[in-house]
Amino acid sequence: MMAGLWNRLYTGTTTVDFYGKRKVGFIFSAVLVIITLGSLIGRGVNLGIDFTGGIAWEVKQSAELTVDTAREVLEANNIETANAKIQTIDSGDAARVRIQVEDQPENVASAVKKSLADKASVDVNEVSQSSVSSTWGRSITEKAAWALLWFFLLVTAFIVWQFEFKMAVGALAAVVHDIIISVGVYSLSGFEMTPATVVAFLTILGYSLYDTIVVFDRVRENTEMYSGSKVSYGDIVNVSMNQVLMRSLNTSISSLLPVVSLLVLGSFVMGAVALQEFAIALLVGLATGAYSSIYIATPLLGVLKERETKYAAMRGELSRGADMGRMIARGMTTTTRTRSATASEKPASESTPVAESLVDASVILSHPPRPRKKRQR
Amino acid sequence: MRRRLLVPLISVFVVAFGGLTANLLAGNSPALGLDLQGGVSVTLQPVGEYEANALDVAVEIIRQRVDSLGVAEPEIIRQGGTVVVNLPGVKDQQSALDLVGRTGELTLRPVLQMGTTATTTTVAGETTTTVDAVTSTSVAEQTTTTAADVATGPGSARRAATTTVPPTDSSVPVADDSAVPATTSAQPQLAEGQEILADKDGSFVYLVGPVAATGEVFENDASAEIQNGSWVVVVTLRSGAVGEDQWNAVAAQCFNKEETCPSQQLAIVLDGEVISAPAVQEPTFTGGSVQISGDFTESEARQLAKILEFGAVPVKFDAPTAQAVSATLGTDSLRAAVVSGAVGVLLVLLYLFLYYRRIALVVLLGLAVSGSLQWSVISWLSRSNGLALTLAGTAGIILSVGVTVDSYVVFFEKLKDSLRSGRRLKNSAQREFTAAWRTILVADTVSLIGAAVLWWLTVGAVRGFAFFLGLSTLIDMVIAYFYTRPMVLLLARTRFLNSASVLGVKRVESDVAAGGA
Repeated sequence: MMAGLWNRLYTGTTTVDFYGKRKVGFIFSAVLVIITLGSLIGRGVNLGIDFTGGIAWEVKQSAELTVDTAREVLEANNIETANAKIQTIDSGDAARVRIQVEDQPENVASAVKKSLADKASVDVNEVSQSSVSSTWGRSITEKAAWALLWFFLLVTAFIVWQFEFKMAVGALAAVVHDIIISVGVYSLSGFEMTPATVVAFLTILGYSLYDTIVVFDRVRENTEMYSGSKVSYGDIVNVSMNQVLMRSLNTSISSLLPVVSLLVLGSFVMGAVALQEFAIALLVGLATGAYSSIYIATPLLGVLKERETKYAAMRGELSRGADMGRMIARGMTTTTRTRSATASEKPASESTPVAESLVDASVILSHPPRPRKKRQR
Repeated sequence: MRRRLLVPLISVFVVAFGGLTANLLAGNSPALGLDLQGGVSVTLQPVGEYEANALDVAVEIIRQRVDSLGVAEPEIIRQGGTVVVNLPGVKDQQSALDLVGRTGELTLRPVLQMGTTATTTTVAGETTTTVDAVTSTSVAEQTTTTAADVATGPGSARRAATTTVPPTDSSVPVADDSAVPATTSAQPQLAEGQEILADKDGSFVYLVGPVAATGEVFENDASAEIQNGSWVVVVTLRSGAVGEDQWNAVAAQCFNKEETCPSQQLAIVLDGEVISAPAVQEPTFTGGSVQISGDFTESEARQLAKILEFGAVPVKFDAPTAQAVSATLGTDSLRAAVVSGAVGVLLVLLYLFLYYRRIALVVLLGLAVSGSLQWSVISWLSRSNGLALTLAGTAGIILSVGVTVDSYVVFFEKLKDSLRSGRRLKNSAQREFTAAWRTILVADTVSLIGAAVLWWLTVGAVRGFAFFLGLSTLIDMVIAYFYTRPMVLLLARTRFLNSASVLGVKRVESDVAAGGA
């Protein structure tokens, strides 16, 4: 079975009925989104020091007090050091160690101050302690939000221009879905949000859109190809998705491999903790991005398009198995052509829904498309 | 035909590898961000009294100014009572001070005399004509001596010709460069509070009187607008003693050409540099706002508006101090990122070789080309624009490999389809590329829109992201069209791509049959 699936994937002849099973994806995503929203309301997101500001100590650097010992001091006081910023400040004559962590209660702060002084063998007053504002100012968030709004508007306009409005709806729904779920992972796991995380989310957003556009491009191609024949939109969607499935898988694998490598090798094996959360955000985002273009964006498009009069007549009619396989293998029928009253009708008259109940799927599918003079030699 | 393919291909190689070599020889390498390499930390200590929230406003203004300088990701924080600016990728502390050290003090000073540098130019009066002093540069060439006639100096004539905008009633049109004794001759007789200041490009010098008002007379709402077909800058006056009243006092002096302001001009000075020196057209400004008109281009008007808006930092800072700061992440973080990234890319290539067989060689070479291009651009911008790579940026670049590979995948899948339906690549490659290119173009355009919007509208880390997204997308498009296309088309004519097992598609006919059955 696996070998057969692999072979079909490899030869691009899968016949997965994505559209028929769209409800599975919709329900799955709805559940995830609800969990995420619940978590966002209940737990919120753990914002890092770049967003919230925090507290900083500065003390003279000495043989006893280095970056490493400062880290030990923090750990001894039960402060998470993964996101602490510990650095040396060198003004030429004297070097100091600067330690910045998230806000701490007064007693913890003074305890750290005292132990820093002890370590450095200096008076407590020689350790300076100050509150630090966020590096990520409110204006950055505001600007980014405006930029995103503009981005969505422009992208919508672009998709409407190049494709159609319903595709814009599908693509944006998928993007929003991906972002919500990625943020949800952060909220649920309690990972700290850093500017790098925001960058990761933006990457996800771009990737998800890109992925969706590639699928939609194929849908458009097929829509044009079948425009003269009676093919339900569900079929077009299914055929397109199967045709680009391998491309989607390959691209996802190519994008995921470096991220997995960053996570496993870079973060776990080589111990670069800073990479870990960034890589996790990307991993989740890329996975949902690939998922949503197949299970959210395109099925949603199908649902919207089937409401149009042109496709409403054939709503719900899906060819499966070999029929689909035939369509997927580069377009059209190679085998039997069943004669029936409707099969010989011109496409011009097909918008009348009268024929609907009379025609069975195989007849519709065997109806040849426009002559394809240029395609066949 | 062959030539039409070879030319772009060779050009891409030359540009990519030539650029790489040039950058390597010049010793340019990507600068690293604060987290990886540290940088210079500049501390600004406020002096005098200020309101509690004024410091936050100051932080925002400084962020605006520092961020607009380049694509590096600086950190601007308020630490206790001070403002700390951490700059990555800055080599020496002096240049960091130069960047941040501009205290952003905007002052208004009456102009006593003005002239061009190193010359004794002439021409008095004619202040009603409007010229933006900053824009004109060519006057330095002429060395006319004393004369009262405007039209004599060729420079003045040119200048008069450009002053087409009549001053509107509430306006403060920008100055005419009437003359003053040059710097050298003027210096000895400077009175108390007087100073000689140059404009931005140093072509005009102004003898200005003591500070008459600060930028605080303006609200932070300056904007560039079009009025009667030309660009003007409009700014609201703050009401009350420190705003409107102070401004009107100065304006009255200048309008009446009193002794303190004989030239009628009021210089807008930022950090010792004359930004603009408009002539005052009204003794009192009752409307609560000031309009500055002149021969502005759009960008000049916007620039001036920005300076008026952000120049007035509500806090006065002491002389800044610079210190070197170390990286917050160890160098092992960078090494981990690079090593694991390289392994990741190798895995991608391995996968592509397994899946697409020998045509994956095209990807291998393509990644080398796009990698060289990216390295060149980043190194070059590190040198020229202070770009600095953070850990997230590095990881983003590694990730972009995956997305770059997509263009190949889209193309190769089309080629495979074509092979399966029994066509030969020699004939079908061009058409399949056209189809793939359409997809790549549409998808990349969406990415480019995103990059452009985020670049224009945001600051800090998001802006850095936008830059790298845009860069890798552009390179992706260039590579797809100028490298992948000619490369594959050329290979399609050789046996390399026309043997049976290419792309892993084995027997063509049977596959179609299997799909159909």
